[in-house]
Amino acid sequence: MHLLPLILYACAAGAYLAHFAGRDRSVGRLATGLLGGAVLAHTFIIGMQTVQAGHAPLVGTTAAVSAFVWLLGLAYLYIELTTDERAMGVLVTTLLAVLYLIPALDPGVSPRPAVLQSPLFTLHVLAMLFAYASFALAGVLGVTYVLLFKEIKAKHLGYFYARLPSLQVLDAMNGRALTIGWIFLTIGITVGGIWATQVQGSSDPRAQAMSAVDPKILVALVCWAVYSFALFARRAIGWTGRRGAWLSALGFVIVLLNFVPVGYFLTKSHNF
Amino acid sequence: MTTRLFAVGLSHRTAPVELRECVDFSRDGVGDALASLASRGLCREMVVLSTCNRAEVYAVGGPDAPDGVARFFAEYHELPLARLSEHLYVRRGDEAARHLFRVAAGLDSLVVGEPQILGQVKAAYATSSDHGHTAAVINRLFHTAFGVGKRVRRETGISEGAVSVSYAAIALARKIFGDPSGLSVVILGAGEMAKLTGVHLKAQQVRQMTVASRTLAAAERMARQLDGRAVPWSELTDALATADIVITATGAVEPVLTRAGVHEVMRPRRQRPLFIIDIALPRDVEPSVGDLEQVFLYNIDDLQGIVKENLTRRSGELERADAIVDEEVERFTTWLQSREIIPTVVALRDRFETIRQSELARLEPKLAGLPPEARARVDEITQLLVQKLLLTPTEQLKSVRDESLISSYSDALQRLFELESDQPDRSETPRKARVAPLRRE
Repeated sequence: MHLLPLILYACAAGAYLAHFAGRDRSVGRLATGLLGGAVLAHTFIIGMQTVQAGHAPLVGTTAAVSAFVWLLGLAYLYIELTTDERAMGVLVTTLLAVLYLIPALDPGVSPRPAVLQSPLFTLHVLAMLFAYASFALAGVLGVTYVLLFKEIKAKHLGYFYARLPSLQVLDAMNGRALTIGWIFLTIGITVGGIWATQVQGSSDPRAQAMSAVDPKILVALVCWAVYSFALFARRAIGWTGRRGAWLSALGFVIVLLNFVPVGYFLTKSHNF
Repeated sequence: MTTRLFAVGLSHRTAPVELRECVDFSRDGVGDALASLASRGLCREMVVLSTCNRAEVYAVGGPDAPDGVARFFAEYHELPLARLSEHLYVRRGDEAARHLFRVAAGLDSLVVGEPQILGQVKAAYATSSDHGHTAAVINRLFHTAFGVGKRVRRETGISEGAVSVSYAAIALARKIFGDPSGLSVVILGAGEMAKLTGVHLKAQQVRQMTVASRTLAAAERMARQLDGRAVPWSELTDALATADIVITATGAVEPVLTRAGVHEVMRPRRQRPLFIIDIALPRDVEPSVGDLEQVFLYNIDDLQGIVKENLTRRSGELERADAIVDEEVERFTTWLQSREIIPTVVALRDRFETIRQSELARLEPKLAGLPPEARARVDEITQLLVQKLLLTPTEQLKSVRDESLISSYSDALQRLFELESDQPDRSETPRKARVAPLRRE
């Protein structure tokens, strides 16, 4: 069941790569179609899990990864359809296909412990995941910006010059993705904090581990600091362009680290 | 008479510019040239294509027509044929089609892949069509050529990359800033080079043009021509602080923009990108300015290097483009050959229809007693009979590809059914369907 979205995500990544290399419009449309199909199949699976479990499948890192892939796929499709720009598709769909390996290999739905039965929990998870999806896009935009910047600076106009939109467009989109991501990250952390104080008295050991020194929470706060600085630097000291692009790529690396290794192996508060 | 497609002409590949200047059909209007050619009665269909780099006639006519058209080239331009003939090329049949397809796709152009030629081919065809000199073969040929032109551009990189220095600069500006309409341009220097570049950028509808020169009067003169403003040399730093693109073309011996100077300018700009194009010789900008963050420095050699790379890349696409042309030539030739048999098919049908009509007329006394519906039925049945009899032979004839086989079939049919020999090519004129569509049970 979980294999269908995986295959479709992987095929979409292949098609986006072929489109990027060959620049054939019909291959581009095929890639968009495949990604649309993958997101649709993924939606179906999430829907089935919701019906089966009686709640949205957001408990545990695997479910969160799955929801993150779904949100990023949707957000990317939205951007592609509104800007008619497919150059970022290669990196985004590759990330989707790789991350979807996790839910594909571990398709079960974790039961929801009593401590998580709060609308604040759902809001917290969705806001965090949406923020991460925005940061993923910002990171991808940052990497492509640097690639194009290097070519123009080196006066060797080649592969990326012919395929990427202008530096200005990449930079503006990067700024927008950062702003949206930062807003959702702030909401997610605030809601998480409120909810953590509410469940403080619970007997669940994970609720008692909720503190700023737990690795997962600590790294999330570091992320917030990095992205706050990135936004501040953009506005106040003109760190747009290459520095801003590097910063957004760095930020996303931290997000990914927090998401997968920290989420699975290190945290004591978020191991549902 | 079979349909013989051919092309006669000369181009930058075969004739020097002095000769091309003499052979110019557009001098008195292509319409005049067409009328003159048509009056010679050599060709049934014809198109005259005349650009600065080529003069060509595409036509359909008898076996002697190409020589006649070559003579027309000489006589129309009042040149001795001997002087012209070594530069003229003649292409027949599929080679004529291949030639036009390559021309339309820009593969035969001086600058490979240049886009204007397709429009010129379209205009030449439209003129000829307006004067009533086109019919089935030329129509099909040129519409296929338009398709080939578009397909080659879409499926290959033949038209990609700027191939002139000013377009290379504009393409770069677009890659850095996106839409150029919001940009502010500063031009340093008021010489001829500076002005030329300014005119090119003005065509991109930039937001503001500013000219700075050591002599304010010269700057003001040029600013007027470019609809821009002039600033005195002393206010250069302020002007640079708001600029997006800077073009330097002064005659100064020492660099006008130094690393330290540009570094100063970049601070209030808050890292907004600055694109500096140095077209002066000797250089106006210290090379190390290009090392500054968010400064893109290109000089004339860099731009020429890009143009050269693009030209090389375009030539590399020729093979792919020619593969597309081959494919389309093949398809067109198949169609052209299938047409050779059409006059015979039409004559055959006419023959059968005549027989039918005369038999009905002969039987008229016997049929007179029948009610009108029954007579209509008889008419319908005889028509169907003729159609059915001719269906398979027609399909078989149309599928023949071999030219010699086509002529022997035509010959045989003309003898067997006593068809008129040398049928005029009736399909040239729109022909109403003489035979109702066949109903299949």
